[in-house]
Amino acid sequence: MTGKQFLHSKDLKALALSLPGALFIIVFLFLPLATIVIYSFWRTESYTMIADWNLNNYLTILTTKTYLTFLFRSLTMSLAVSFICLVYSWPVAYYIAKYGGRYRLILTMLTAAPFFTGILLRVTAMQQILGPIGVVNMFLSNIGLKPLHFLMYSHYATAVGLVYLWIPFMVLAIYLSLLTFDFKLLDAAMINGASPLRAFWEVTLPLNWIGTCIGLALVFIPTFAATITPKFLGGVNGALYGNILAHQFGSTGTWALGAAMGVLMFTISLLFVFIVFKTVNLNRSGYTGKIAGE
Amino acid sequence: MASINHQASALKTGQVILLVLLYIFLYFPLLFITYDSFVHNIIWPFPPKWTLEWYQKLLGMSDFHAGLKNSFYIGLFTAIPATLFSTAAVIGLLKYRTRWRGGMILLYISPLFVPGLLIGISTLMFNANVMGMSGKLISAIIANTTEDIAFSFLVILAQLVRYDWRMDDAAMVFGATPAQVFWEVTLPTIWPAILGSFLVSFILAFNNLEISYYNLGAIPTLPTIAWGSLRHGIKPELFALATVINMLVFTAIASLFFLIQTGMVRFGYRGE
Repeated sequence: MTGKQFLHSKDLKALALSLPGALFIIVFLFLPLATIVIYSFWRTESYTMIADWNLNNYLTILTTKTYLTFLFRSLTMSLAVSFICLVYSWPVAYYIAKYGGRYRLILTMLTAAPFFTGILLRVTAMQQILGPIGVVNMFLSNIGLKPLHFLMYSHYATAVGLVYLWIPFMVLAIYLSLLTFDFKLLDAAMINGASPLRAFWEVTLPLNWIGTCIGLALVFIPTFAATITPKFLGGVNGALYGNILAHQFGSTGTWALGAAMGVLMFTISLLFVFIVFKTVNLNRSGYTGKIAGE
Repeated sequence: MASINHQASALKTGQVILLVLLYIFLYFPLLFITYDSFVHNIIWPFPPKWTLEWYQKLLGMSDFHAGLKNSFYIGLFTAIPATLFSTAAVIGLLKYRTRWRGGMILLYISPLFVPGLLIGISTLMFNANVMGMSGKLISAIIANTTEDIAFSFLVILAQLVRYDWRMDDAAMVFGATPAQVFWEVTLPTIWPAILGSFLVSFILAFNNLEISYYNLGAIPTLPTIAWGSLRHGIKPELFALATVINMLVFTAIASLFFLIQTGMVRFGYRGE
């Protein structure tokens, strides 16, 4: 048995086991995504797709002020929500990873568990807290204070709702990264005279920046495509880009335009992920060219 | 040094406060609608007028039984392939170290980076125009499976990185066939990870709104019924629905956790 053949048979076995699922993802996820790229250059006429190659869908989006407003609004919203999740999740994940001890698993599971209730029911729950007859405003009016108008049916309410939905992903991503982080490095930095803040900036954060970037992507992407949260928490003027996209698949039936909006949305998401991962400095990230467990 | 220690403990206290506030933020809305689901006066439920009327209304909602059945089928038939695909893949990639491991892992988790809305609309268009099948339960099941393979894969991967594959080698040395190794060595040790991933995929597919909505047309599921009724204002029967779902999720997670913590399941046994 030569070394080369041995490796070959291992590769084959690994592929035999992992290829079925990989093909499933390629056929039923990547292929549909590729088809909407094609459809985005077609046009729709009375609910039928017509293969009449053109750029009109994109021109429509980029020249219609309403669409651009929604796009800009969504971008601002997702950036703000990602930033809030990032800043809040770091100390929380750090605490669980460093001091959680034998309760680490349960403390982390507790942050992730609400995710399983489903987006719609969680947004309903948030509506019952922030809405005009939500518990916050009813409490304020019961003790004789004015209701907080900015909290009900507004972009603020949408932002709170989105943080509520997606912050578990950020906590989880940072926590998983910190699990493989050697906290003794901090002691080493401090013994050599670094302040706790400096040790954090120059040791902890760079070494966990890849995990943090994954968290940023996992929050930004679904937030940028949000439809349910703005619909139920955003109020009459609360619609975001996702809502206008979803609208193309409703009564208007303009699928080709919707496809173009989807492609644009995905492109911007990928661009965001690309820019975020550009900030990773591999020399300082602890990357050794190997995957954990190797 | 004393001041650094003082600073460190202040920081630690701050972190605890943030953690507790996060739990309150995450759980208060869910606990509040649980409470609301049992009271008549939902708008300002203090003092409560206890009632079960929202649960009765939930059962009486039009399409409720059809929706429950469809959601159950979507959950079950998504969870089965998602778990099988991802279990096989994780075993393949961890047991037989291949140079394609990194790329495969990336491929398996890539669905996490595609938002539900985009999966929904792209599979809708793909199924309608390429496959010639739209508005079928199977379309929703396939679309949900692509997303849930990723979650399932992560759950299994997170547990199996601790598995010691030398146990399999040992069994082989003593003459076990590959099938025997799987059924008698690997599976008895890793089944909680498989069960966990099955539950995660089931729950996610059962509750999914965006992917299922675009693929189902007029077929009702619990989330699409909830979505439809929400458009006509707040429906307290949805609080009842949320409560039932939360109880089921909580029971599932708690029992899995109990099994692991009490050592009834010897998990990720390293053989040391």
